[in-house]
Amino acid sequence: MKRLLTAWVMSLLLAGGAQAAGFEARASGPAPELKARDLNGVPGTLADYRGKVVLLNFWASWCPPCLREMPSMERLRVKLAGRPLAIVALSSAETPEEVKAYLSRMKLGFPILLDPDGSNTQRWKVFALPTTFLLDAEGRVRYVLTGPTEWDEGEALRVIESLLAELPAHAK
Amino acid sequence: MRFFGFLLLGVWACSFAVRADLPDDQRFPATGNQLLLWVASERGRAESEVQAAQQLAAQGVETWSLDLASAYFLPQLPSSMDEVPVRDMADWLRAAQASGKQVTAVAVARAAVPLLRATASLEPAERQRLCVLLLYPNLYMTAEPLAAPDYLDLETLAGLRVHVLQPRRSAATPWLPGLLDHLALHGATASATVLESLREGYWARESPTEFEIAESRRMDAMLLRELNAWGCK
Repeated sequence: MKRLLTAWVMSLLLAGGAQAAGFEARASGPAPELKARDLNGVPGTLADYRGKVVLLNFWASWCPPCLREMPSMERLRVKLAGRPLAIVALSSAETPEEVKAYLSRMKLGFPILLDPDGSNTQRWKVFALPTTFLLDAEGRVRYVLTGPTEWDEGEALRVIESLLAELPAHAK
Repeated sequence: MRFFGFLLLGVWACSFAVRADLPDDQRFPATGNQLLLWVASERGRAESEVQAAQQLAAQGVETWSLDLASAYFLPQLPSSMDEVPVRDMADWLRAAQASGKQVTAVAVARAAVPLLRATASLEPAERQRLCVLLLYPNLYMTAEPLAAPDYLDLETLAGLRVHVLQPRRSAATPWLPGLLDHLALHGATASATVLESLREGYWARESPTEFEIAESRRMDAMLLRELNAWGCK
């Protein structure tokens, strides 16, 4: 009984710890292909953001944690306006109508791409929402975060600033 | 005082002795020929699941409802489901088959793991008589971003008929073909239905949509509809 309780408490602590650990650094691996269209049918790929740090967020309008972090991404956009940072939100495996319904209630100033057949979700091996990838200006995946965060403060902002700091002085 | 301590210890020990035979379930008897074994997810049994069991029984489908986390005093975590004694689950399936009714086992989320492991331990003839319905099963060993998913080894499921009910609004939906391939790789005959406009565990959500609330109330009808369409007998 005591062992079971201890195991339970430990698992809770570990679960909390995993969340607190937050960003998972990656060894500068090449990013999978991103091939999607926005709500107007305009195609978007990672090449569009070459030379910028990219925050690529996989989300869905039915996912409460995804919606909870969206306002902080918009605040981040405003906070770092004029800096070489691209925020891109890719709606995972849902219809344009579902995305439009959400965007009618929430105004966002960064591009929203669609992935109705989930092909990008599969290429990027996303198994939970939200999942966010931070790419450096060379298009390499540097950090992964599974779960929501407040993007305009704390660890998230520090990680993004560290990637921006790698850029040549004229680009910052 | 010491006497009561021993008494409590005895009762506690006896409860484990009983559990060693069959996991503690809630039964909703009915006179029909169908027996539905409902294994709740790692989050435990929700009120809507009890209601669905009552409604099914009222329509002649006997239902046994099992909450593994509660039955084995396990934390409500996916990993707990991997700790459930396979032999107990297999005995439970055999007890259901001994009723002479057509048995369909339904498992939710990670509860699919002990159920499938138990079916793997059955004799081939016992396994072939069973129909298994899985609601958004979680069969991952690891699933990390940017890496191919690693599924659990389920041993042989040869002859087992499995149907997956996958809510559309789930991060797992794009991975459904891979899941079915994995089940087929272990010998099961696997198929799936996508449940439109629903999320995983829609009957126990903190902020359900109106449609989810309505669907929670007619879970019995959904199950009967899917069972009939599937045609596993």
